[in-house]
Amino acid sequence: MSTIFTIAAAEWRLWMRSRSALAALLAVVLIIAATSVLTAVRFTEEREERTHQQEVAEETFLSQPARHPHRMVHYGHYVFRTPPPLAIIDPGVDTVTGQSIFLEGHRQNTAMFADTRASANVGGFQSLSPAAVYQILIPLLLIALGHGVFVREREARTLAPLLAQGVSGVTLYVGKALALAGLSAALLTPLLIMSLIGVTSGEAIGVSLAVVVAYGAFMLVWSALIVLVSAVVGTRGVVLGTLVFIWLAWSLVTPRLAVASASAAAPSPGKLETDYQLLADLRELGDGHNAGDPAFDALRANLLAEYDVDSVEELPINFRGAVAQASEADLTKVMNEYAERRMALEVRQSRHVNGFGWLSPVLAVSAASRHLAGVDLETHHRFLREAEAVRFDFIEGLNKSHTQELSYTDDINRNQSPEASRRARISPENWTVLDAFRFQPATSNQRFGAAAAPISMLAVWLTSLVVAGVFATGRLKP
Amino acid sequence: MTAALEAINLSVERSKQTVLKDVTFGVAPGEVYALLGGNGAGKSTALLTFLGLLTPKSGTIRVQGRSVSDDLTAARRVTAYLPEAATLYEHLSAHENLAYFLSLAKAATDRAALDRALDRVALQPEARDKRLGSYSKGMRQKVAIALALLRDTPILLLDEPTSGLDPIAIDEFNTLVRSLADDDRAILMVTHDVYGACQVADRIGLLRKGELVGGFDRPAEGRIDTEAVHAAFAGRAVA
Repeated sequence: MSTIFTIAAAEWRLWMRSRSALAALLAVVLIIAATSVLTAVRFTEEREERTHQQEVAEETFLSQPARHPHRMVHYGHYVFRTPPPLAIIDPGVDTVTGQSIFLEGHRQNTAMFADTRASANVGGFQSLSPAAVYQILIPLLLIALGHGVFVREREARTLAPLLAQGVSGVTLYVGKALALAGLSAALLTPLLIMSLIGVTSGEAIGVSLAVVVAYGAFMLVWSALIVLVSAVVGTRGVVLGTLVFIWLAWSLVTPRLAVASASAAAPSPGKLETDYQLLADLRELGDGHNAGDPAFDALRANLLAEYDVDSVEELPINFRGAVAQASEADLTKVMNEYAERRMALEVRQSRHVNGFGWLSPVLAVSAASRHLAGVDLETHHRFLREAEAVRFDFIEGLNKSHTQELSYTDDINRNQSPEASRRARISPENWTVLDAFRFQPATSNQRFGAAAAPISMLAVWLTSLVVAGVFATGRLKP
Repeated sequence: MTAALEAINLSVERSKQTVLKDVTFGVAPGEVYALLGGNGAGKSTALLTFLGLLTPKSGTIRVQGRSVSDDLTAARRVTAYLPEAATLYEHLSAHENLAYFLSLAKAATDRAALDRALDRVALQPEARDKRLGSYSKGMRQKVAIALALLRDTPILLLDEPTSGLDPIAIDEFNTLVRSLADDDRAILMVTHDVYGACQVADRIGLLRKGELVGGFDRPAEGRIDTEAVHAAFAGRAVA
């Protein structure tokens, strides 16, 4: 074991005495520091801002004066998806899906960006998260520093004297891989600090450390690969070319290939087409603002029979409110069917892309990172479902007040008579039908469960490369 | 007495070319055996095969009576190897190079011992903590020789050991090799330096195109006849 550490320490000493290695290391450390600080500041502010906006939105809704309940249905309400603490490491889908939704009656609005900064493509470091640095840039540093670990010895003809000391090829392999692993561990320090900041913001310590472990495994995959290629390929130029080729294939080509393949395997019909189809389906359900719409004839007949009266004016409830209630339920059922179909399609596409983790560990670690950080597609879908539940509850709560607290006569005459208009308003106490909304990340167990598949992929990658490395260096020749 | 090093009907191929062909020789403890030959004769190949860094195509290779292929690690533990071009690390000093290689060989690395070895090869004390990048070829060779000494093994494999040394250093080195052999070490030295081989060797094997084509033994008194070896090396009869 001490021999392995001696070999690893010798590599470290070489790097510490190489100006180019130190310069590369310094550059990457500065990039990590810059992106970490910027992302941490940005998401801490956004977390506070969205939490504050959520409170403001609720206060604003609750502080509305007495109004007609249907005005409140269209006054609407905002819900915000606050980023989880680990979004400071990996913003995940946050920058592409939108994080706030305007909730109102009869519609399921799409998510919007809560803040200008919250969207993608702002440029510069804004779009470069710590996760992206660890997934894309750190492997380049490992390649730059590590590609020569074996081939340098071979070219300088120091491999024969090394082996002549009684050191086996496998020991050399493990020692040099340990050197790169040690470098990787040092480079994980900023990530560890970020994850601990996440813990101080309320994140579970297990899942916070799991993010660091996932990235550690990813860097070990690269370390094992780099040492393997350096051991089996003859010249430094070919080693470097091979590793850069693999980096391009894993980091840039395979992810694009995965997305194109997912689109082909599970084609989505397109938003305009879907929206038109949804509108057509909703129109068939009738206009909930028009109590005379034939679509509600059956409802009228049922209520008249239930209350044993001859006209809606005689009903003990407000028929218009009852129509609004029934209409909202019918619309929501159809809208939810469309939404669930769309989300199922997105999940299929996402799983298809994640399957490409068997071809590229970059995809495996990015999926593991998003799942563990609680910024994956499934979390966004849960946000949409929870937001919809809030929407439906408060809309139907208002419709219920409309039904039970307003007289039908005042309701239909409110535009003709100021007195009827005054009586057609209900008190602000009724606005408490709005539930407080605080979006919570998934539990640790749920996130571990979601991340199990990509983490398994990383484990298989690592095991395969280590076995290949041990096999290749078992009979190492100078 | 069991030979410390034995090659029996050894044939080795490199890049599908036969480099050693049916070669048989042995080196006993206390003996200096010089394999003499021109460039490409297969001298270094023989050393690398004893180290297990090349695999024989046929034949047997033994270190202290045990087949190298059976216990490679044991063979390397008892063997110190001085490579041809003093292949050491340029970013390390002499002390650091020695300490690193010795720690890999699980040998003692205390500074006093290192300095004693460097004294024996006459490396200037003021140079010992400078990086090898600033050394001359001869200074590097001295560090490599010191490393071989410090291994303190019963067998030494020396590949062109006097390459890069000045005449005085060569004489000192040859004396050193003799004293090591007198300490019962088996020394296999490959060289194309006829004079140096005759000065230090007990026996000389002449390699030509991978075949052992001749041999010379040290007489009871004096050295192997340089003229005779030179003539055989050059492929002509002695007058």
